[in-house]
Amino acid sequence: MAHAMANKTDPVRNVLSALIAESHSHLTPEKILREFRATADKRLTDSELLALLESISSKRINSRQVLDEITYVLERKDPMYALLKFTERITQEAKWHSNASVEYGKLPPASSTKLPHHYIDTMSIGSSSISTLSLADELHPPARKSLDLSYSTPVTSRKPDESPCLETLLTRRPSPSVPTESSSRGDLSMIKKRVMNAVAHMPVHESTNNRSANRSSLSLNGGNNTGITSNNATSIQAPSIQLSTSGGSVDLDLDFQDGMLEAQRTHMLWDYCKVEGQNQRPPAEIAAMPLESQQHALILDLIYCLSGVRGSYITPLPRDKSSSGLARYETRFTVHPGVDKALAEMVHEILPLASHFMAMQKVMAITNNRGQVNNSLNAALQDLTHDFYLLVAEAEAELDSQALTLPKLLYYLQPTMWVMEGLWSTLGEIQLSNLKGGDVLSHLCRCIKQLEGDKATQDVLISLTTKAAAPYMRMLQLWIHQGIIVDNTEEFLVVDNEVVHKGETMPEHYSDDYWEKRYTRRSHAVPTFLANHSDIILRTGKYLNVIRQCGKRVTCQKNNDAQFDPTKNLHVKLIEDAYFFAARQLLDVLLNENDLMGHLESVKRYLLLLQGDFIAQFMDACEDELSKNVDQVLPMTLENLLGLTLRLSSARSDPYKDDLHCELLTYDLVTQMSKIMDQEEEYWKTTDRLDLTGLECFAFTYEVKWPVSLVLNHIAITKYQMLFRQLFYCKHVERQLCKIWKENSMAKKFSAQAAELYRSAFTLRQRMMNAIQNLEYYMMIEIIEPNWHVFIEKMTKVENVDEVLNLHQDFLDLCLKNCMLTETSHLNRAIFKLCKICLNFCEFIQRSQRLFLDAELKSMVCDSSDESTDQSDSEPEVSDRPQDESSMAQTETFSESVKRFDLEFTGMLISFLKQINDLAKANTGDRFMNLVHRINFNSFYSEQMERMCVMDAMG
Amino acid sequence: MPSEIITLQLGQCGNQIGFEFWKRLCLEHGISPSGVLEDFATDGLDRKDVFFYQADDDHYIPRAVLLDLEPRVINTIMTSAYSKLYNPENVYLSKHGGGAGNNWASGYSQGDKLQEEIFDIIDREADGSDSLEGFVLCHSIAGGTGSGMGSFLMERLADRYPKKLIQTYSVFPNQEEISDVVVQPYNSMLTLRRLITAADSVVVLDNTALNRIACDRLHLQNPTFTQINTLVSTIMSVSTTTLRYPSYMNNNLIGLTAPLIPTPQLHFLMTGYTPLTNDANLSNQAVNVRKTTVLDVMRRLLQPKNMMVSTGPDKTNHHCYISILNIIQGEVDPTQVHKSLQRIRERKLAQFIPWGPTSIQVALSRSSPYVQSSHRVSGLMLANHTSICSLFERALSQFDKLRKRGAFLDQFRREDIFKDDLSELDESREIVDGLVQEYEAATRVDYLEFSANRPSKSEGDTRSEEAKSVKSDI
Repeated sequence: MAHAMANKTDPVRNVLSALIAESHSHLTPEKILREFRATADKRLTDSELLALLESISSKRINSRQVLDEITYVLERKDPMYALLKFTERITQEAKWHSNASVEYGKLPPASSTKLPHHYIDTMSIGSSSISTLSLADELHPPARKSLDLSYSTPVTSRKPDESPCLETLLTRRPSPSVPTESSSRGDLSMIKKRVMNAVAHMPVHESTNNRSANRSSLSLNGGNNTGITSNNATSIQAPSIQLSTSGGSVDLDLDFQDGMLEAQRTHMLWDYCKVEGQNQRPPAEIAAMPLESQQHALILDLIYCLSGVRGSYITPLPRDKSSSGLARYETRFTVHPGVDKALAEMVHEILPLASHFMAMQKVMAITNNRGQVNNSLNAALQDLTHDFYLLVAEAEAELDSQALTLPKLLYYLQPTMWVMEGLWSTLGEIQLSNLKGGDVLSHLCRCIKQLEGDKATQDVLISLTTKAAAPYMRMLQLWIHQGIIVDNTEEFLVVDNEVVHKGETMPEHYSDDYWEKRYTRRSHAVPTFLANHSDIILRTGKYLNVIRQCGKRVTCQKNNDAQFDPTKNLHVKLIEDAYFFAARQLLDVLLNENDLMGHLESVKRYLLLLQGDFIAQFMDACEDELSKNVDQVLPMTLENLLGLTLRLSSARSDPYKDDLHCELLTYDLVTQMSKIMDQEEEYWKTTDRLDLTGLECFAFTYEVKWPVSLVLNHIAITKYQMLFRQLFYCKHVERQLCKIWKENSMAKKFSAQAAELYRSAFTLRQRMMNAIQNLEYYMMIEIIEPNWHVFIEKMTKVENVDEVLNLHQDFLDLCLKNCMLTETSHLNRAIFKLCKICLNFCEFIQRSQRLFLDAELKSMVCDSSDESTDQSDSEPEVSDRPQDESSMAQTETFSESVKRFDLEFTGMLISFLKQINDLAKANTGDRFMNLVHRINFNSFYSEQMERMCVMDAMG
Repeated sequence: MPSEIITLQLGQCGNQIGFEFWKRLCLEHGISPSGVLEDFATDGLDRKDVFFYQADDDHYIPRAVLLDLEPRVINTIMTSAYSKLYNPENVYLSKHGGGAGNNWASGYSQGDKLQEEIFDIIDREADGSDSLEGFVLCHSIAGGTGSGMGSFLMERLADRYPKKLIQTYSVFPNQEEISDVVVQPYNSMLTLRRLITAADSVVVLDNTALNRIACDRLHLQNPTFTQINTLVSTIMSVSTTTLRYPSYMNNNLIGLTAPLIPTPQLHFLMTGYTPLTNDANLSNQAVNVRKTTVLDVMRRLLQPKNMMVSTGPDKTNHHCYISILNIIQGEVDPTQVHKSLQRIRERKLAQFIPWGPTSIQVALSRSSPYVQSSHRVSGLMLANHTSICSLFERALSQFDKLRKRGAFLDQFRREDIFKDDLSELDESREIVDGLVQEYEAATRVDYLEFSANRPSKSEGDTRSEEAKSVKSDI
């Protein structure tokens, strides 16, 4: 052979000179090299170069074929590369032809027959000068070191029971040669045994069953076959060898750049990078190899492909940059055209596995650090990867022992392929949809459901999901057991919207929004298996936090680990237990330790006027102050008077009396209502603050501490205040009416005429009293009290604080609604106007009373005096006359005024009643009608109401 | 303390019902007969300070003034277990102890003579309260001390305390038995005049009705004073329950009475109570066939047989309610109140005045936790009903019988007030007659235009006895 004599010089020159000698060309190797080395501008054209090569190689049998190849190479690559390729190919061809003694058809498909020994020899001889692939004997220590680094998790930390994935990966197909009872299912050594049996017919000892964490003991032969242990161990690592030996000087062909940063690329990810420099020599001409050698080479190549390394005959196609979806991460391969078609078919069957596996690796690299769930999933996948490499390593070991054929490899890899395909489609979706946290888990669960029937893949996925869910479940457990959120990656389904930082004082109305806003659900992060429980999960932690904020320790419950098992609903029980525990505890804190009901009763006593005597007393005390213009009312005075009243009245036995305070609002109730309903009208706008008395702006307020303030928050207090203001105003009117009643009772001493004169005023007063009192009765006895009754009834059965909040809110809303403080029909304005008329009337009566009392009493004094002294009889008679007349003259205006008030009041009241009537017709559910029945109990107003209805009907 | 009420007990009857009243209050507030607060009653959800004042931490003394012209009843009280309850300075016994001899004029005159001493007590008591709301007077209108001295005191109180309320619990004499007091019609008439002009509200306790209830409802053959007085004390305590156990409404005397009395003259209130039982048949009562509802109670209260005033049969059926207040105690579902009212309204169980709006007010009151009642629900009605005028008509006719004959007037003439003539008697009659007319008018729509048919002031000095006697024939 030509190359044998040219050993001491450059192999290219040797080959070239040999060719020149053969073709008797006038060329020299130096000349040819010069032409090919020339810079682009001086260089000959491709066809000229090709002609050069043709001239020297025409004598060779395969020159045509080689030249075709070189043409192809020349178009793409450097001419020098083409030259190298040329020399390589031309010698290869020569070699194959010289050894072409093996018939292709002789290789039996899918058999365990050993390849002929000489075939391997020939191949190694043929390729020794060009192949950079080193076999086991080339192994050196640094390779092992770099291999260890290639795992993201330390090898030593792996526990044997952490790789259930592999079991399903590898034990899917029962080996015919291994008795099923010989070992426990899923043990890795079991697989090894099986492989051993199938490949080498070697006796396998049971002792290999004990699997060690040490990778070197994962040898195919187990510990008893110490003679070849090191050999096997190295062969396991074979896929990485090339990587490590070329480490440092590797020039990566980074054609996979899109969507992936260099930094994200893990050391695991070779992704078929082209390694320049060492791979320059073309591989041996495969078509020239015997089938066995072809098969061996292909298996070797496949093994490289499976571990992400470029093969010689199986090369990845350049990636189509425009591809999208899953295809973006997948790799397609091309098999050397010289490979036997049957073998190529089998190779093509296995290749998707490599593509899926590598795609998975890529996705793992990309999704790394995208949340705890993804990291955890990646860690689980890393285990899977590890197992996969073990599988590949074992395959190589078998190859080394020359017991592996392609059909066999296909047979072994088949289950793994299916599983890997399922996994890849699941994982690919995670990356495509850019999922994170709970969504990943949701997606995994959904995939598990979809894989119903494909047990193996499902099992792998279940185990993956369980592991992926682990950090999530830890978060969940921390939350539902201690109310703590540790979620830097924003994955957990509950968000803490804390605004107050340590050391800061709580802002005013802190607890208003607390319940609603402090902790919220992150809707997209709820895994499907928790979706139905997300509500109680949110509450559980919230309750615990409230308890903690009360300064109480959150007593930890029994801390069994929360594990998510997609097949079972164990977590549901855990969540529910935690929920009931927290709910009960908070309820206990709120109801028993902080006496919520006591506070509510207290609020009811003051703000809903239950403690009537206290209210009356307070009104007595504050009457003067509150009748002033609101700007002149001194809040301090009110506060002092309130304190005094609280201490002197029957309220003094109330333990929560100090929570009560005065508040002067800047608007009256009607304005407040319009503000709330966002209906501003001219009429009410004009009544600006200047006209308001203290009474109209006054309200009690009730300040409570955490955690009662959760229930009695600012919003609730505002609702109470609205009720209070209406009740308080009515009460005030009632008091004024009572006051003039007492003053009017003087009239019983008056003469019959005078009594008659005043009667119209008295009956008007009584009608006002009737209306106002019935309004009060209606609100207090028919609305507040029954609703409170129902509220208390329900509170005895309450189970959690949310219910308490809802019940309390319902109670308030019902009261507001039925006290005419919510609807938009201005009923509360009518009430306000009625009250105003009553107050004006009271004022008028008091004013005229002073005038008339004097007159009447004087005449009475005269009455009695005329009995005693007959003489003086005429005298007062005379003086009486003008007085009587003057009083009569004034009475005219008096009765007129009364009439005016009467008309005003009656008109207002009738329209008010009618309004309620109309409302009741529209909405039968309301209780407003009761008020009409009360005020019009003896049908006194019926006629007038009908008349008004008729008038309405007439237009 | 707000809304304090001073109780004045006058005469034999007044002191007796007053005694029962205080006994009852002590029981309800957990105060021992010696005025010490019982250990179980310290939670203080009630208002004791309306009727009591605190001598020290747990010692309560009634705001009561006990007045009599003869020592018998007061001596009985002062030797009873409750002797230490009262402030001894508030007990006034006339020094000569001769009594008023069932003579209104004598009682009135003695009141005049003793007024300084009496008002010393009353003023001191009034000064002792922060915001006195009014006076409650317990007396009978037929005797001498209660009616005569009571009348005098009412007039003086009205002058002296014009802004304070005067409420009376006035016992009207039993019409069915022949009284040993022959001048009873005179006494009644003269007292009625003061009740009309000086009192703000009068709770009429009609002995006729009380005795009838005792016989018919409680099955007592010969009811004793104590038994009758227990009934009275029940009414008195329940009618003040909203003051002592305050709630949303009717927490003071004025808030309680003002809605009931539309015009100043029509201030005579009748009461009704249910269930009426005595201790003897409590055990029977315990076996209730069905639950007593609010409606049951309210319906029963509207029945005349439960009324503490015997108005006689209303033949023309024109009398009507001017106003009603029901005080209901016990386990009441507040949601029932409206339904009951609605039922009464629909079935027209009660007839109301046509000249103004009125309704049945319902006050749901707490009751004392220390008094065990065998009744789940009990109710008191305070009503202003026009038929009460029949009581006055009866008094008028009896008065007229005596007055026509001019009988028994000698003892009256002896006193200052009748020194000159007996016009006081006839004026009183005129005023009572005016009231009867007003009550009658109140049943009609045109009440507002009503004018009492009596000589007006402008007719000047024509107030002669003849004019009066003509009227009395009507």
